[in-house]
Amino acid sequence: MSIISLININYTYPLEEKQTIHSLSLDLEKGCVYGLTGANESGKTTICNIIRGFIPELYKGELTGEVMIKGKNINDYNIGDLATIIGYSFQNPFTQLSGVKDTVYEEIAYGMENIGVPRSKMIQKVDEIVKMFQLEDLIDKNPFELSGGQKQRVAIASVVALDPEIIILDEPTSQLDPKSTEDIFEIIQLLKKQGKTILLVEHKVDLLAAYCDEILLISRGELVMQGPVKEILSNPKVVEYGGQLPQVALYFIKKAKANGSSVSQVPLTVQEVYDHLNKDGEV
Amino acid sequence: MDSRIGNLYPSSKFTFIILIILLSMLVPGFIFQYMIFLFIFLISLFSGTAIKFLSTFMKSIPILILFIFIFQVFLIVNEDSQQIWAFIHFSQIGLMTSLTMTSKIVAISSSIIWFFQVTRVKDIIYALEQSGVSQKVTFVIASTIQLIPQMLNLSRTIADAQKSRGIETEGTLFVRMKAFIPMIGPLVLSSIQQIEERVLALESRAFSSKAKKTSIYELRKQKIDYIIVIFCILVLIVYIVWRIKL
Repeated sequence: MSIISLININYTYPLEEKQTIHSLSLDLEKGCVYGLTGANESGKTTICNIIRGFIPELYKGELTGEVMIKGKNINDYNIGDLATIIGYSFQNPFTQLSGVKDTVYEEIAYGMENIGVPRSKMIQKVDEIVKMFQLEDLIDKNPFELSGGQKQRVAIASVVALDPEIIILDEPTSQLDPKSTEDIFEIIQLLKKQGKTILLVEHKVDLLAAYCDEILLISRGELVMQGPVKEILSNPKVVEYGGQLPQVALYFIKKAKANGSSVSQVPLTVQEVYDHLNKDGEV
Repeated sequence: MDSRIGNLYPSSKFTFIILIILLSMLVPGFIFQYMIFLFIFLISLFSGTAIKFLSTFMKSIPILILFIFIFQVFLIVNEDSQQIWAFIHFSQIGLMTSLTMTSKIVAISSSIIWFFQVTRVKDIIYALEQSGVSQKVTFVIASTIQLIPQMLNLSRTIADAQKSRGIETEGTLFVRMKAFIPMIGPLVLSSIQQIEERVLALESRAFSSKAKKTSIYELRKQKIDYIIVIFCILVLIVYIVWRIKL
């Protein structure tokens, strides 16, 4: 059974005539990392909001179709309690702080306070999360005084602290430097090892290639491609749909085409390029 | 705030403030009220906030006192008013009224200033939640206090952006007022947009969960807190009984 199922979803925002999402159906399996990519305004964040239940609970508009979470219709869940099943971190780090806590330590605990976790358990969990996200130096700081990247890390940490089975990360690295970006992807890998299902909205396809199991490509509100990373990110059609291919793959795709060989086995990550060249005796 | 007084439970300090306010209103004359100011200053010395206390007090209260004093003594005409020049009079009754009135303002305002300087916002919020105040109410209080500096930062950013586009934002009062008007639009709009995003962020932290809330922050009432509350109630009762008997 899929952990998330979208069945024939159509959605139009209030006061808009054009549908943002049309005829979208997809199934996401437990424990996998899904990379959701596509051009700007293609509907990625809208899909995340539908899965999380913010549409139609907080954003009105016209929604048809069914959203099933763990085999149960999303309408049967309380939107507040869904936070313990689906964690959602947003693109803008400046507005995803609670605004009521004056230390990072308390900010991380805020979600657990809302679901009534006993204090001793909360302390234990926050300590664990602080270590996991390497936030030791920030715990006594006011969350509003952090840099954009630090705020983003704290926001993701606060969501992960609720221990949800599904985690949606909407462009989590948009404000981060390369080192912090790598750190976040390391955490994603760690979460995957813990059996979490992760839906990652990201434009950095090189990283999606390295860390995801499957890619979902959205174009103008439609799911145009879905499949294993290797299959999707080596397919030149991705570019036609407004997506991107990993930089390292482009050269090998061109080479494969020139040789008339299949593009499905081209290397997509730096490691794969290294292995590929090593195999050919070029390094 | 980390002093012994600062670490008292907020409701103990609040009971003390209520006592001060009631006594300031009930005790006739003005000497007692001015003595309260000195007493509060003394407590702020022990709380380690004396300089901050004086600075805040001097920035706000003297202007108000001066205004009342001028009005009562020189402008309002009483039975004993003696003309000095044109509409300016001197009145002994006005002087006494202004002293009585301002002494109450001084006593009450100084105690409130002291309370907020020695009590953390999160302590107040915690105490309110423990006393059964709705989480939605405490959220509004806490977020307003936290978000005011953020709004100021946002307005500064907008002002800088406008300055970089050639709008004059500094100079005479008229220039500043002119620069303020185009700033209101972006400030209000971006604040509204931020509210929408913040609602989603709160929901992703289970804000509307039906579960009974807990708190990682803990503040416990000590023996001294109970003593202070009982002492304040006793003082008030004794004073009222004494006044009735008089």
